[in-house]
Amino acid sequence: MKALKLTITLIAVALAIPLQAQTADEIIANYFENTGGLDNWKSLEGIKMSAKVNQGGMEIPLEIYNLKDGRQMTKITFQGKEIKQGVFDGETLWSHNFMTMKAEKSDAEQTSNFKLNTNDFPDSFVDYKDKGYTVELLGTETIDGTETFKIKLVKEPITVDGNQQDDVSYYFFDKDNFVPIAMQSEIKSGPAKGQVSEVTMSDYQEVSGLYFPFSMTQGVKDGQAQPITIDAIELNPAIADTEFAFPDEVGETEKQ
Amino acid sequence: MKKLRYVWTVLSVFFISAGYSQTLEEIDGKALFGDLTARHIGPALMSGRINDMETHPTNSRIVYAGTAGGGVWKSSDGGTTFNPIFDDYCQSIGAVALDPNDPDNTIYVGTGETWTRNSVSIGDGLYKTTDGGANWNKIGFEKSERIANIIVNPNNSQEIYVGVLGALWGDSEERGVYKSSDGGATWGQLLYVDPKTGCADLAMDPTNPNVLYASMWEFRRTGWSFESGGDKSALYKSTDGGKTWNKIHNGFPEGKLGRLAIAVAPSNPNVLYTVIEAEKDERKGLYRSNDAGASWEQLNNDFGITVRPFYFSRIVVDPKNEDVVVKGGLSGSISRDGGKTFKNLGNMHSDIHDIVFNIKDSDIMYVGTDGGVYRTWDGGTTMEIVENLPLSQFYQVSVDDAEPYNVYGGLQDNGSWWGPSSSPNGVEARDWNSIGAGDGFRVLKHPTKPIIYSEMQGAESVWRIDTERELTKTIQPLPVSEDQKLRWNWNAPMAISAHQPDRFYMGSQYLHKSEDMGDTWEIISPDLTTNDPAKQNQEDSGGLSMDNSGAENHTTIFTIAESTLDENVIWVGTDDGNVQVTQDGGKTWTNTVANIPGLPKNTWCYHIEASVFDKGTAYAVFDGHTMNDMTPYAFKTTDFGKTWTNIISDDVVGFARNIQEDYENPDLLFLGTEFGLYITMDGGKNWKKFTNNMPAVAVHFIELHKRTNDLVMGTHGRGVIILDDISPLRSINNEVLGKTLHFFETPDTEISETSSFSGNFGTETQFVGSNKTKDVQIKYYLNKRHTFGKMTMVIEDMEGNQIAELGPGKSKGINVVNWNYTRKVPKVAKGKTFSFGGFTAPQVPAGTYKAVITKGKETFEHTFNLVYDKNSPLTEKDRELKEATTMKLYDMTQELAYLVYELDEIMENANTAGDKKTAEKLNSLKETLVITTGDNYVGAAEPQLRERMADLYSKIASSYDKPSAAELQNLEVIAERFNTAKSDFAKLKDKYLKKQAVTLMTFEDFLESK
Repeated sequence: MKALKLTITLIAVALAIPLQAQTADEIIANYFENTGGLDNWKSLEGIKMSAKVNQGGMEIPLEIYNLKDGRQMTKITFQGKEIKQGVFDGETLWSHNFMTMKAEKSDAEQTSNFKLNTNDFPDSFVDYKDKGYTVELLGTETIDGTETFKIKLVKEPITVDGNQQDDVSYYFFDKDNFVPIAMQSEIKSGPAKGQVSEVTMSDYQEVSGLYFPFSMTQGVKDGQAQPITIDAIELNPAIADTEFAFPDEVGETEKQ
Repeated sequence: MKKLRYVWTVLSVFFISAGYSQTLEEIDGKALFGDLTARHIGPALMSGRINDMETHPTNSRIVYAGTAGGGVWKSSDGGTTFNPIFDDYCQSIGAVALDPNDPDNTIYVGTGETWTRNSVSIGDGLYKTTDGGANWNKIGFEKSERIANIIVNPNNSQEIYVGVLGALWGDSEERGVYKSSDGGATWGQLLYVDPKTGCADLAMDPTNPNVLYASMWEFRRTGWSFESGGDKSALYKSTDGGKTWNKIHNGFPEGKLGRLAIAVAPSNPNVLYTVIEAEKDERKGLYRSNDAGASWEQLNNDFGITVRPFYFSRIVVDPKNEDVVVKGGLSGSISRDGGKTFKNLGNMHSDIHDIVFNIKDSDIMYVGTDGGVYRTWDGGTTMEIVENLPLSQFYQVSVDDAEPYNVYGGLQDNGSWWGPSSSPNGVEARDWNSIGAGDGFRVLKHPTKPIIYSEMQGAESVWRIDTERELTKTIQPLPVSEDQKLRWNWNAPMAISAHQPDRFYMGSQYLHKSEDMGDTWEIISPDLTTNDPAKQNQEDSGGLSMDNSGAENHTTIFTIAESTLDENVIWVGTDDGNVQVTQDGGKTWTNTVANIPGLPKNTWCYHIEASVFDKGTAYAVFDGHTMNDMTPYAFKTTDFGKTWTNIISDDVVGFARNIQEDYENPDLLFLGTEFGLYITMDGGKNWKKFTNNMPAVAVHFIELHKRTNDLVMGTHGRGVIILDDISPLRSINNEVLGKTLHFFETPDTEISETSSFSGNFGTETQFVGSNKTKDVQIKYYLNKRHTFGKMTMVIEDMEGNQIAELGPGKSKGINVVNWNYTRKVPKVAKGKTFSFGGFTAPQVPAGTYKAVITKGKETFEHTFNLVYDKNSPLTEKDRELKEATTMKLYDMTQELAYLVYELDEIMENANTAGDKKTAEKLNSLKETLVITTGDNYVGAAEPQLRERMADLYSKIASSYDKPSAAELQNLEVIAERFNTAKSDFAKLKDKYLKKQAVTLMTFEDFLESK
């Protein structure tokens, strides 16, 4: 069944490829069309991804939640212990400290930048105009040996170390099938500041009519990349609000 | 209709599929090379030449450096660290300018260095970005060769002025001052003098963009001389936005003028400074105008002001104080009295080309030199080098056979160096060793002894250094008769022999041979050059300012290659275009250059590569750029030069300097051009540009390291760049390109068990070169990127047991997957804190393994071998003991994890059921098994069985050695303790389960669970 769908997609794509130049809007429209339809994307309430990263023989299981209202969370399991990273409850962004395993808030700048992404579910390109974003087709570029359309996406400006900066990222849509296979953006802060981060996407598979990349790599362009494998994606997952809430852990160390 | 559509669909799909398989002729380099990625090892401790510095008009954290050969670098931390933003384009930079109205996004880069020394590179036009450097477009001036200035009208971003210095080696009409009124879409030439005179400097009155000053310079360089100055050099002013120009020479010296610099004081635009190169020494120097150029007064002709105008004509005025003036020069000079007197800038690398002041605080300056960027915090007295600009400009590189191998080479104005190709924590500044002074060129390691040969400018010194005993002497050949004058190239050739380790060659106009490492010399050729006296008048070089540094010495030998197959076959190439060969060890010589079709006469023979497959075969590379000929030339002979065939295709851009032949596949060749690396896999019919982490930098020299198959490049602007293990390229052919997935052979990989301590203190702001991986690398070719459906990769042993899961590469082209030859980490019992020992992944034993890729329904398998280091002190028995002990502890760790899991489940059940007694008993047992309190840092609790077991496991697993007696004893203790725990738990468990059923996972399910 999946194979059939894939064939149909390929055929649809083959028919959809006109030889004339594409506009950014056409590419984005084709992308949503080929991955399940814009309406279906827009009706999504949430996504749960069960994934794993492999770091030097250590397989780290992850559970990633993204909800329509902007709430997010990554749960990591280390030696049976659950650690949460990048948890956003709509107001507060927090993570567990690896030393104390206690929740700590992210700094105000990071939190306010993160808050700007609450309208990006399930995809920044959905209704991008309504969000005040701009897109621009910059041309074609070879990524992973493959011809792609390079689209520049500009979102709300972010604040970096006290200075406001544009939030720019570049998406590379496979010319054959219009799905994004890579995303690049400049790293704005931290030791890799000034370098270009690159995420690649592959292994697109269907989940209830929508196509998601089940394999990603994350790293610095031209450097080593960390593969992330997604085992399962659950749409509209049930999750308690309390999971996102910043816990009050005062007194934890007293407990035996 | 439906049927038609069906047919069309099938056809389209067919075409798409057919399109995936490409031939070597069709496939683009970007689609072929995939994951093969170059790595940079610097060094950055001496950095390289800077042409232009630029600041942001409102954000003092942002600083740009336009470099002579290493592209454009941006700092967003006030000049502490920099990142490259222009790697895909010409790396020789003339000017960088920001649109003052949109400085975060709109940046212009004019290519082509403007300090016109002999080794200067060329530019290929003007570039613009409107997104801060993420994407660039070329907007003209393709033939400009070098752009001196770009100025955007501060009141109108559409108006851009460009000063084009233009071609150095020949006539060109693409010179002078240009203007665009449409943001760079179209250009008009505003000021043009003649094909020999270009715009050397351009300035705008910051308060009135219609007022412009342009210095025009008559100049020309050849391979053997330089000429600065003439009747056409002049300083012009326009008050109408460049429509009309008038000379402003009131107060200028009489006669011919040379290179002039011009600067307007930002705080008072009536104050101008110019530095004048004139006929008479006493009239050279700094001139100031207080009336916007209406009249000039000479203030100073100190050495620091007049020195080498072609190299140092830059004046910068403090934006806040018209009387603070800084001048580029040998040391750089600063005046605080309006230019009357100067003192040197603080100690730093010599040859200062540009200076910029911080926009907020004039005590802070950024200075561009021949040795990188310096910062000052105290107005120029103390200079501090930027440590992460790997801009080193190599003329040549060589390698040795150490493990890891070392790289040797000489640098423009930065001596000679050697350093490791890999080093613990990466190749750091402190890993590099100085091995010569002055301008360094060729450096060679003696094949068997701890001896290094290096040299400086024109064989002025040729050093033989005993690195073990730290003994150094000079060994250059000397004249043997009163009338003998040896002519050495600035970059004098030297060569060693594959046949006689002590043999050493050098080339003047003659070929010199020594059989005793340079103590005794014999001339084994006649003058092999054209000996054209017209090209030997270097004392007349320089024009208005004499400049006989030796850099223009000509009619000399430039390259020497002794055949590795026959020591009597020696090839020699000369800078005036001869290709000489002897087949009898130097008794007779034949000049074969006349046999080369389509090569302009006297084109510089830059490199000859003697083939390792056949002694009559050689490759010759010619560089005509010093005759204004930018064509790449490379030829191959198979008959000792009787006939030569062109092996350059239209794919190659930029003149070529070097070629490297593969040691196994004679059709695999590597070509270094002014704009990067090209690779052919069919003997030169098709060349593919290699761009994976490989900037478009001038590649001056290429070596292929025999043992590792690493391609080592000496670049003139980005240091040493290495492309690790090129062996997959040997088997690329049309058949491979047609396969869905093709595994390349994996050479037997040694399991690395070495480790060392190397603190990375102080490297936070330093460039650190990347290492070659020690992992085993599985390499395969995919003829299409894998985007839809599942693709996985596992490593199995030969019995089919899964050892590891890896993330496979999905790119079209060559994919590289690294495996660090370890199993998964053991499953560790859950406690309050982490057991750090449990994060150790055990290394697998040597042997044959299988990589299995599943792509959709297809499966692809590939076997490879892991081997132990031959020098390891461990016997086979030791290895068995180590493996058995490690795995015993690994299994125990997992067993304990399962036991604790069962215990937790039963305890929870007991708690729920209100069986407090059992729960308490279980809990006190648990407290002896795992840590139940504290944190992962200084709040850590007393270690329990889990920690002791995992720590011993980790200790043994991460040691190179077999388990020691102490470790085995400790294991006994732990095993006994574990046995007790097991039996204690078994009793509690059995007793409870009799009362109450508890659902428990099996051991196997537990291992699979999170």
